[in-house]
Amino acid sequence: MTGRGPERIDYADIQGDILRAYGNDYERTSYMLAHIEHAPGGRAWLGSLLGQVTNAEQWTGPKPETTLNVALTYAGLQALGVPDSVLATFSDEFREGMAARSQILGDIGESAPARWEAPLGTDRAHLLVTINALTTELLEEKLKTFRAGVQEAEGVTIVHEQHAQLLAGVREHFGYADGFAQPAIAGVTPHRTLGGGVPEKEDKWRGLALGEFILGYEDEDSLVDPLHRPPDAPAEPLGRSGTYMIYRKLSQDVALFRKTLRDAARLYEDGDEEKLAAKVAGRWRNGTPLISSPDAPDPSFNPKDLRGNAFRYLDTDADGARCPLGAHIRRANPRDALGWKGLDDSGLLSYRHRIIRRGMPYGPPLPVEATDAGGGEDRVDRGLIFVCFNASISRQFEGIQTQWINDGNALHLGHDKDFLLGDSTTTDKMTIQGSPPFFLSPQPAFVTTRGGEYLFVPGHAALHFLAGAADRRAA
Amino acid sequence: MSNQAGQAYAFMAITPILEGEEKKLRAYLDGFTQETSPFAGLPATHFARWVILPDWVDDPSQPRQDHLGSEYLIFTSNFDGPLGSYLDELCRRPEAQEIWSHCVGAPKPATGHLLKAYLLHNHIDTGFFVAAYPDASVEKVRASLALRERLSAFAVRSQGMDPATLQSAFNAEFGG
Amino acid sequence: MSEESPPTAPITATGTASRNVDGQAIAITVFSSVKWFGRLWLPLVFWYANHFPKSTGTLARLSFIHFARWTLVRRIPYNGPPQQKEKLSYPRLFFESNFNGGWEEYIDAFSHILTSGMKVFWGTSYGFPQPLPTGPFKAYIKRNELEASHFYSAYPQATTTMVLAALDLAPRLERFKEQTSGKTAEDFAQDWRKFLEETQGSL
Repeated sequence: MTGRGPERIDYADIQGDILRAYGNDYERTSYMLAHIEHAPGGRAWLGSLLGQVTNAEQWTGPKPETTLNVALTYAGLQALGVPDSVLATFSDEFREGMAARSQILGDIGESAPARWEAPLGTDRAHLLVTINALTTELLEEKLKTFRAGVQEAEGVTIVHEQHAQLLAGVREHFGYADGFAQPAIAGVTPHRTLGGGVPEKEDKWRGLALGEFILGYEDEDSLVDPLHRPPDAPAEPLGRSGTYMIYRKLSQDVALFRKTLRDAARLYEDGDEEKLAAKVAGRWRNGTPLISSPDAPDPSFNPKDLRGNAFRYLDTDADGARCPLGAHIRRANPRDALGWKGLDDSGLLSYRHRIIRRGMPYGPPLPVEATDAGGGEDRVDRGLIFVCFNASISRQFEGIQTQWINDGNALHLGHDKDFLLGDSTTTDKMTIQGSPPFFLSPQPAFVTTRGGEYLFVPGHAALHFLAGAADRRAA
Repeated sequence: MSNQAGQAYAFMAITPILEGEEKKLRAYLDGFTQETSPFAGLPATHFARWVILPDWVDDPSQPRQDHLGSEYLIFTSNFDGPLGSYLDELCRRPEAQEIWSHCVGAPKPATGHLLKAYLLHNHIDTGFFVAAYPDASVEKVRASLALRERLSAFAVRSQGMDPATLQSAFNAEFGG
Repeated sequence: MSEESPPTAPITATGTASRNVDGQAIAITVFSSVKWFGRLWLPLVFWYANHFPKSTGTLARLSFIHFARWTLVRRIPYNGPPQQKEKLSYPRLFFESNFNGGWEEYIDAFSHILTSGMKVFWGTSYGFPQPLPTGPFKAYIKRNELEASHFYSAYPQATTTMVLAALDLAPRLERFKEQTSGKTAEDFAQDWRKFLEETQGSL
């Protein structure tokens, strides 16, 4: 290459839970959305939180009892008095906001912003505080102090709260072990490289550039640029160490999902409900990838053992006989699947569309017996608070959503959408490749978007700047 | 130079727009929808477009700047040949007359074989033309797409049918 | 020449102005100014590509292009006054494509997969940055891209892979009908299973 050494990473400046997950010891997460009435009050309140914001440095002692992180919507940045000239340096899609991009994202019908939980998707959503806690008691304590702080602050109100908790077995509501496969970042999470990085020829993998996820650092493009031009980022000092965050409350119709699999399994010769569940997702419910275990889950599969994630698709499964071409994980992270045999570096069509996911389930689990009686809905809202981080919302999150989840063209599946997520009008059929193939019929959607936001996660210096930004606004 | 790939033809014409008429032309072109597009009435058309070229975009690294004396209308079409009959049909369309009447040198009225001659006079030969399905006409593409949809839907709904039901359902759907 | 630029249409999910979109089909129209040796080089390239179709194999395999073309515009035909006789200091390379997928994905693919192909076509254009990194290249294309005033597709909901799948299926179905005509229901059902197995990639 060019003889440049790796960039020094300022972990203390980057907020926590982005590069490395806080981890599953944190059983509880609360997402507190605040509205800021006027800038001085908002800044003062933000200033009062600064000392509590946890960063990306590795913990040397015991884990903190709680963690706290801050993110802002475009409206939130405006509310804090960020000048227009600086606001203009944020990405277009961030400035428009998730609600304005509902057509692009497939948030239509039941998932349309008009039906979202207020004030998600409106310009009253300003500042999101994410609090993780080891236990419920610790969470309650922290929330108490937090709310007191909001009371004391001037012109700050909590306009939306979302509480989430780990489910048993670190599953999500459809029953799948989730969240353990994440991108490998060069120099940061080298242990994830096999399987989490970019698949290269001769079975090699490499980690992704930090700048794919954190602004102010070289991304994949700048790495191949002789001039090493840095990627677009908001103006200093806001850009550096920051990232964009996607927050989506996804309601899951667990009863319908179970019923669908149960009904479909009657005609499925190749296996049972569990196998169908695996075919839809691309992994067995305990996390075993279909690619490595096409016939049965591996009971010894340990999500923490990342060797289990070191697979690719083309060499053993170009036709989808093991892991269907439209399976959820194959869509969300195609690895080498978009290329074709004989093309070196088949990861090239997917490697710039990776995201770091940090969501949490919400709502109580639906007891298994509830669906045995056939159709047992309990009208309780449950689902996933989907959270992810990336340097470019449009290229990464939206790219996945529009090209791979809500459509099938890139995967040679016509317009078939992801059977698990789909869009809210109807899922399309899903073909489970095999001898013979099996088809899952179109269904009403299992997942509905109840609200969401595009947010910016500032670095520490940027947070200080935002809190202390005094009278910079022209007017 | 190849204007053809299989039975598919690539045509391009570039014609100067009468001064002061660009806005009107733009507005007219903008008004077309999928249903009202003149190409909907030219069934040999796979993909076509009208693009207005206001002026050359010069790169800063060019030693000299190049400017056009007027705005130009670019017309390209990817269609099932042959060229002659396609242009004949195109030049019969009232929209074609309306559009090219805004261009310098167009016949008055801009229709029929005179319009065709005008377009041929202003055509630019293609350098390299690539077609993903060079031997499939529009009709064949559309028919195949419709059939695929029906076949796909049938595959889903016939799942689990016993052989006799399957066979009669197939025959009912596809005539066998 | 018109003073005001036309209002730009909103950017769609596909990453380009809505006038460049018809259903699933996306139009891209680009002109670039060509250096003097492009006058010699490009006709050679065209000749080679036309005579050795295998040389453009990867382009075809990318399977999100319906139709695409490159043309070297050396002169603008003259129609008499009031048209000005256009004198081109530089020939212009015209590129048009009809494709699917997001604009960004499309350009990414070109940049990564057709890196040498890109240089062959655009290497003689002024200001052409290398295909990689994609950022400056995308910016280059955006600068030189024209927005269509009207773009039409005869089958707007169909992507290239769908068309290819459909064209593959149609004759297979015909053959299946022939082969199974008059067979017993049991045999038919068996043949149908086999048929599904063979065609599952196109459904």
